[in-house]
Amino acid sequence: MALRKDLSIDYLGVKCENPFFLSSSPVGGNYDMVAKSYEAGWAGVFFKTVGIFVADECSPRFDNNGKEGLPWVGFKNMEQISDKPTELNFEYMARLKRDYPDKVLVSTIMGSDEDEWKQLAKMSEQAGADLIEGNFSCPQMTSHAMGSDVGSSPDLVKRYCEAVTSVTKLPFIAKMTPNITNMNIPARAAVQGGAKGISAINTIKSITHIDPEHMTAMPVVDGKSSISGYSGAAIRPIALRFAAQLAQDEELKGVELSGIGGIETWRDALEFLLLGCRNLQVTTAIMQYGYRIVEDLISGLSHFMDERGYGRVEELLGRALPNIIPAEELNRDFRILPAFDYRKCVGCGRCYVSCFDGAHQAIDWDEKKRRPVLNDNCVGCHLCLNVCPVQACVTPGELRFKEGRQQGPVTMKTQYE
Amino acid sequence: MSKVAKARYAAAAVPGFTHRTAMEEAARCLLCHDAPCSAACPAGTDPGRFIRSIRFRNPKGAAETVRENNVIGGSCAWVCPYDNFCEEACSRCGIDRPIEIGRLQRYVVEQEQVQKMKILKPPAKKKGVKVACVGAGPASLACAAELAKAGYAVTIFEAEEKAGGVLTYGITPARLPQGVVDQDVAAIRGLGVRFALHTRVGADISLDALREQGFAAFFLGAGLWKAQLPDIEGTDLAGVYAASGFLKTARESRGRTGLAGKRAVVVGGGDVAMDCATTAKLTGAAHVAVYYRRTLEEAPANMREIQYALSLGISIVTNFAPVRCVGADGKLQYVEFKGRDGNSSAQVAADAAVFAIGQAPQDMRQLADLSLTEKGTVKTRSGGKTNLPDVFAAGDVANGGKTVVEAVAEGKKAAAAICKRLDALHEGRGK
Repeated sequence: MALRKDLSIDYLGVKCENPFFLSSSPVGGNYDMVAKSYEAGWAGVFFKTVGIFVADECSPRFDNNGKEGLPWVGFKNMEQISDKPTELNFEYMARLKRDYPDKVLVSTIMGSDEDEWKQLAKMSEQAGADLIEGNFSCPQMTSHAMGSDVGSSPDLVKRYCEAVTSVTKLPFIAKMTPNITNMNIPARAAVQGGAKGISAINTIKSITHIDPEHMTAMPVVDGKSSISGYSGAAIRPIALRFAAQLAQDEELKGVELSGIGGIETWRDALEFLLLGCRNLQVTTAIMQYGYRIVEDLISGLSHFMDERGYGRVEELLGRALPNIIPAEELNRDFRILPAFDYRKCVGCGRCYVSCFDGAHQAIDWDEKKRRPVLNDNCVGCHLCLNVCPVQACVTPGELRFKEGRQQGPVTMKTQYE
Repeated sequence: MSKVAKARYAAAAVPGFTHRTAMEEAARCLLCHDAPCSAACPAGTDPGRFIRSIRFRNPKGAAETVRENNVIGGSCAWVCPYDNFCEEACSRCGIDRPIEIGRLQRYVVEQEQVQKMKILKPPAKKKGVKVACVGAGPASLACAAELAKAGYAVTIFEAEEKAGGVLTYGITPARLPQGVVDQDVAAIRGLGVRFALHTRVGADISLDALREQGFAAFFLGAGLWKAQLPDIEGTDLAGVYAASGFLKTARESRGRTGLAGKRAVVVGGGDVAMDCATTAKLTGAAHVAVYYRRTLEEAPANMREIQYALSLGISIVTNFAPVRCVGADGKLQYVEFKGRDGNSSAQVAADAAVFAIGQAPQDMRQLADLSLTEKGTVKTRSGGKTNLPDVFAAGDVANGGKTVVEAVAEGKKAAAAICKRLDALHEGRGK
């Protein structure tokens, strides 16, 4: 029957039935939502950020960015932290912990000064939270004493982490903003302040569209708009980059990472696991498709592990890290020429167009047969492979060493989907 | 000028999806909250669920959904009249055109094979009770699978050499390749179901003998295999065939129908008639024409099958009914038709005439003292119950000939009824 592997994994000393959590966001803002997500199979929730500050939201507050008929490649959100009374949020959390004791409840908090951070931490503990996350990263707060303005200041991050960890024994996680050149600096500050885990990334400051009708950004709020956070599939590559840099930082050794950013499928989840994230958070895909996506996250990861002989999720963690190296250390002694499968080629000529206009004029176009022919200019960049619309038509072919370079074994990827 | 499709016998009528094209199609799916496609599938295959798995890059999970819900999901993917079920219900119809659900299901079942998945396994808990299924067609296969999942020891008795029934012997392989049927049958074997082939219950072994061997219940899914010829002059001529025999011979001989370069006439207006016509054409007949006694609007054949026949250059003549077959030296020369208008008539030269004028079951009384309808089909109540308490029937032999997917649905329901009866008997014994 349907394959289900044991996907359980410990995160900051808490046993999680799988690594899949809701991130602190609109998808986990009250009792009913979180309860439904638990029933669907999510292992835990980072509850929508609670502050002493209660948000006053605008309307509308979302926009999305697509490409060629595919919407939601990226998603823009102007919501801030919870717009519900502070006490009500902790009441929800207490009920959730009581009704779902085996699910993991993370209380995500945001204060505007040390006292608020302390107060919120204590309230989290009283509500029965398993873990506490500090939100140092919301990019659309109406107060500059909170959010990503704090997260880009290592001093403030450290000070607030110290405030929280001075009043609670619960492991504390600092959620980082990507709106910064080097995330490792505030991450180290958080750890110095007592944080045991780092979550990354929160949303990226963005303008998705300018509306030519009202001469402002989207969404249009009474004729105006603001810069706010961008999320979804489009930001996954950026999130993965930050995850790799955090995971490879010697000073952050032993700090447990939670990966966030554009996770929709088990493949996306796997990528974060392979970079060492032992916890995974999702929002945008849930906003688009619902909690049910966890079914295929669980099933797909189970099948992958079964196929490759992995017993535990733990065994996947950080497997790709040793192979992500500085650009100056890459082997640059060879080029791999593309191979064209003429039985599969449909004769669209896109490889020819792209190679001429965007690469090295290494493809000639046989006008009679309407097929590409590789010439000696090819540098092995594989733009043709990337642009070809037919599966397995252009594939990596012959390996050639540059003149005078050391020849040796080269690992080549041959299977592309 | 019309461009007629040329194809080999057994060459797939519709190409399949690759990973990429399957994903493109799945990306069109609206991922409905209460997927109407799933609600519209009689067999409960749950396309909404498996398309979502494709969309989220989990083809193996998709394959599990199909195989667990519809044990002959491979065959259904090829022959189901989707446009009457899931695709007709598809919400996307409100925007442009439905998702190609059938083709996606075919991709999923192909992935099951490519990835060497063995989804169905015998249950850990066995009941130690034997059940016999008669016939190895869709209804029997679906019923046997459900019973095996419930822990019964199931044997399917099949008169022919291969399992599959109408799937193996009654459909042209361009529409349903044998490999797909074999893959479905293998999945059922994987549940521990045993097949007794070349064994015609009622002739080779009696129901009573099986009862003595300890079979506690019987499911009849014997299909409609009586050779049906019209009551007109000349049907004894060489070259005159009943549809079931014609299709079976074509499949068994891998397309050697002996029609190369010849003229064939097919009489009928259902899917079987279209299958006979396309088989004749694909096995080399130079000219094939379908004659149907009513209008195209009244024809029971699925429009896709009609269009497929037309695409091969087969002509369809309506409002003409056969009057007699005429031959010389015992060989067919032409078929004479009379128009519905009472005025027209035609003499159509033919080396072969195939009659696909409705199907009927073989004499089911040879099997047991069953109550039958006037047409000879088995009278059933809910769950396929017959007048005999330990005998259940479903699929074509009971419904008179519907779709494969409906046979699967009925077979599953009958399995539930059989389980209920046997559980009750077992409890009674325990008391």
